Amino acid sequence: MNNNPAIIGASLPRLDARDKVTGRSIYVDDMMLPGMLYGALLRSPLPHARIKRIDVSKARALKGVKDVIVGADTPQIRYGNWRLVPQSQDELPLAVDKVRFLGDEVAAVAALDKETAERACQLIEVEYEELPGLFTVEDATAEGAAIIHDDSPGNVSLNRKITYGDLEAGFKRADYVRDDVFTVHAVSHAYMEPCSSIAAPDEGGRVTLWTSTQVPYIVQCLLAATLGLPENHVRVIKPNVGGGFGGKMELRPWEFCAAFMALRTGRPVKFTLNREQELAFGRRRHAMTIHSKVGFTKDGKITAKDFNVLLDGGAYNSMGPTATFLCGNFGAMLYRYPAYRYLGRHVYTNKPPAGAMRGFGAPQALFAAESQMNMAAAELGIDPIELRIINAMETGDEIPEVATISSCGFKESLVKVREMSGWDAKRKEKSPGRGIGVGCYSFISGGVFNWFNTKYNFATAEVRVFEDGTAHLLTMATDIGQGSDHTLRQILAAELGIGIEKIRLTAADTAVTPKADLGTWGSRVTLMSGNAVIDAARKIKEMLIPVIFSQFDLNQIHDVAFEGDRVFAKARPDKGLTFGECVYKALRGRRGEPLTAFGAYTPRNRGLVSPAFSFGAQVAEVEVDQETGLIKVQKMYTAHDCGVPINKMGVEGQLEGSIHMGLGYALMEDFVMKDGRTLNTNFLDYKIPTAQDMPPGESVEIDTYEPEGPFGAKEAGEGLVSPTAPAIAEAVHHATGYRCMDLPITPPKVLKGIGKLK
Amino acid sequence: MAMPHFTLHQPSSLEEALDLMSRHRASMKVLAGGTDLVPKMRAGAIQVEHLISLNRLPGMNRISYLDDDGLVIGCGARLSEVGANAEVRRYYPALAHACSVMATTQIRNMGTVAGNLVNAAPSADTAAPLLAYKASVVLVERGGRRQVPLEKFFEGPGKCAIEHLELLEAIRVPVPLDRSGSCYERLSARSQVDIAGVGVAGFLALDMEGKILAARLALAAVAPTPVRCAECEALLTGHEPSPDLIARAAAAAVRSARPIDDVRATAGYRRAMVHVLAKRVLETCLSQAQGGAR
Repeated sequence: MNNNPAIIGASLPRLDARDKVTGRSIYVDDMMLPGMLYGALLRSPLPHARIKRIDVSKARALKGVKDVIVGADTPQIRYGNWRLVPQSQDELPLAVDKVRFLGDEVAAVAALDKETAERACQLIEVEYEELPGLFTVEDATAEGAAIIHDDSPGNVSLNRKITYGDLEAGFKRADYVRDDVFTVHAVSHAYMEPCSSIAAPDEGGRVTLWTSTQVPYIVQCLLAATLGLPENHVRVIKPNVGGGFGGKMELRPWEFCAAFMALRTGRPVKFTLNREQELAFGRRRHAMTIHSKVGFTKDGKITAKDFNVLLDGGAYNSMGPTATFLCGNFGAMLYRYPAYRYLGRHVYTNKPPAGAMRGFGAPQALFAAESQMNMAAAELGIDPIELRIINAMETGDEIPEVATISSCGFKESLVKVREMSGWDAKRKEKSPGRGIGVGCYSFISGGVFNWFNTKYNFATAEVRVFEDGTAHLLTMATDIGQGSDHTLRQILAAELGIGIEKIRLTAADTAVTPKADLGTWGSRVTLMSGNAVIDAARKIKEMLIPVIFSQFDLNQIHDVAFEGDRVFAKARPDKGLTFGECVYKALRGRRGEPLTAFGAYTPRNRGLVSPAFSFGAQVAEVEVDQETGLIKVQKMYTAHDCGVPINKMGVEGQLEGSIHMGLGYALMEDFVMKDGRTLNTNFLDYKIPTAQDMPPGESVEIDTYEPEGPFGAKEAGEGLVSPTAPAIAEAVHHATGYRCMDLPITPPKVLKGIGKLK
Repeated sequence: MAMPHFTLHQPSSLEEALDLMSRHRASMKVLAGGTDLVPKMRAGAIQVEHLISLNRLPGMNRISYLDDDGLVIGCGARLSEVGANAEVRRYYPALAHACSVMATTQIRNMGTVAGNLVNAAPSADTAAPLLAYKASVVLVERGGRRQVPLEKFFEGPGKCAIEHLELLEAIRVPVPLDRSGSCYERLSARSQVDIAGVGVAGFLALDMEGKILAARLALAAVAPTPVRCAECEALLTGHEPSPDLIARAAAAAVRSARPIDDVRATAGYRRAMVHVLAKRVLETCLSQAQGGAR
């Protein structure tokens, strides 16, 4: 339990905040190495084509060019995050024989400066034989469609099924069945820092890569594999990262090209993408077509649900298999479904690959599920919040063979958000153009499923303590801007009873920090790395406790406390030493052997999905201009259960960021595409809400304690991105009568929906 | 792409600027705020060896208003300065509003009204209000000056009546009439930091009896150039204002729009929005005019 309220649950500004907001923090693109070359990529101008011939002679001859590579020059080892299923590994760093999306990497150049590298790319001659392009899941799965990957006829790369309960009986006993199709669109992660990597050759044919990534360990393993090197020959270092949101959780072609060309030329090589490239060719959230059928009794009890999803995966699997898996899981969350069937199909199309993105299948699944709950509530004549309370999951609920809910504050969230938003009164009040709506979420706190097939623990930590009263925390946990470095420092400080400022932190350097950590995704870091830190800290405490017993000749019945930079007998605070003195004495007793401990966490016996689940409910109030269709979100109310928040300020930041991202997803962000080409490749035309579009909000954290989490904590950074779109869609419906079933909710759709535009 | 190499000239007089333009005519561009030009150079869309900056020309950032003469905006006057100018806000509220809401704070602090016009984007925010105010531009070259009504200035997307060796020296806007009102409304997906998907500017003046003496309506982002709505204006002029008249005028405004489908909006939505905004703009203009303020 929390024995240190000054640290756990406090609202603490991050140690790196000042440097970040004043521009002092160093990111990969800020780094220069002596002799460094600049890389550029040549990408396919066609969405689907066979490569007939590549001639790089003119590029090679250009003054200042030091290396030019094409697929044939590389070891051609396929890679992908799902190492557990080798046939899912469908990517090559540079295309061989075939390109599958407009932007597929075909060749790379390293030159003395960036302009020369880019000019050299233009001098590479590639002859293509164009193949039919497939741009929708319907076209890709149609009879006789062209095949994008030879080993996936029909262009479905993966089927995922979940089934439990008696579906047929469930629908039979339903008094009311809804059967709807929803479509959701792709959106960009739009992290502030475009991708950047520098590789430098190291002694003995080794290589070091500084890269903007969420997964240094995964990059290390896959880079070593694709280079044909032992894992230990590759060192990956993650400096400051300016956001990822799931878009930086794989090995990327430029990481390979930088390392490969660094080894070939003996010089460091840097690649940095720009925003246009990020938007045109970067990973994105899966567009999906969701067919959902749900049965209810007349008093609102859900009887069964049949959930069919087609995921538009783009040209490669990327993190699609996980999204396919999780989408089905999220379709079964929040409510008690006595019978449930899910079929998710991941479909290849000739578009930039979709990957992991904040919510990882949940924003899509929950837009459909939550919209459908709102639609059902209207038809059943039950208040939408009441309908949710009737069906809400509770602590101890089980999804057969999939998950057990060890803490759940969902009902409390619903009750609280109803009260704080003034729901009952505002819902009844019918003034044209004004509306109020609700959406809910549940999310995972890290994944249980070992798709990367790591031999190591999922999260680890090494703690060293010193006689000057300080500690050193080493972890491969990957802070990409969410503040996990600070959170882990807090957890260690609370456990050892020392100040946060006493903790030196070394993170995310695969040659230095303990093996392993799967990185930042799926809201896993606080729970998993936090548990690993506690494990290591407890081992350190075991080394220090005997010192106090010997020093003060304590009776065995005493317990030892770690608080306020002191170690002392709990019942006799006078009998104690400063933390530093205690380390000093322990060091003497160990005849100089440093006090170092390793901690680890791997979820075991926690089902198939996640060790813990967060829950929450959100209410949106909107005003719709019924002549222009413009929607203004007036206010957001959120009540959520993230267990015990470690850093309240961090949790609030995540909530605000989630609403911002949810707002863009709901109202304006969208890729405009034509024949596989992304047309809006800058922030003028790819519309992300600005700070000025952010509505005011109120939020409440529901008091729960997650037994599996460090100090009772669980996920707070990702689940909240899901409820915003369905809440806004419902509020727009309440305001205008228009029901959006195909995101985003744009002004023309609103006007068409209310019959004011053809 | 990185910035290509170029020479920056910073003349300290108009004559010097015109001489430099002539001397480097083969590969020369004039730089005011640079907010359109520099991104184009970075993107490699423009190759240029000599940039001739107007930023050190004396008096180029003037914003002066005289009751007899109207408003003069120098070619160096920043959008933010024009938007904040007390007389512009008082006598030309549509222009002040356009200058205050377009683009971003940083762009408004560097970009100029003159540059916004010479860039000749169909969506230029300052163009519609200036058309509604019947503004002209003063173009100067080594041989002399000419004044061109803004109506005749725009020729197509990115194209205007300025000759290669001409500079847009200033913008002249006539004194608004008594019993007049004006306003500019724009629609964009974001509330701020955005380009106009549709923009409508209007100006109405009433005679002593309350009939419409002069009416002007201008549209942005719905045709190859910013345009005036002749049919709408003719319908209004000389008539007693009424809700019905305004509704008919707003419908007529749509017929002056020639919108396209693009990444920002469909033609159909743009047309519908011209109708909605034209009605709102005319209503606001009328109520200002009837309030007696000018």
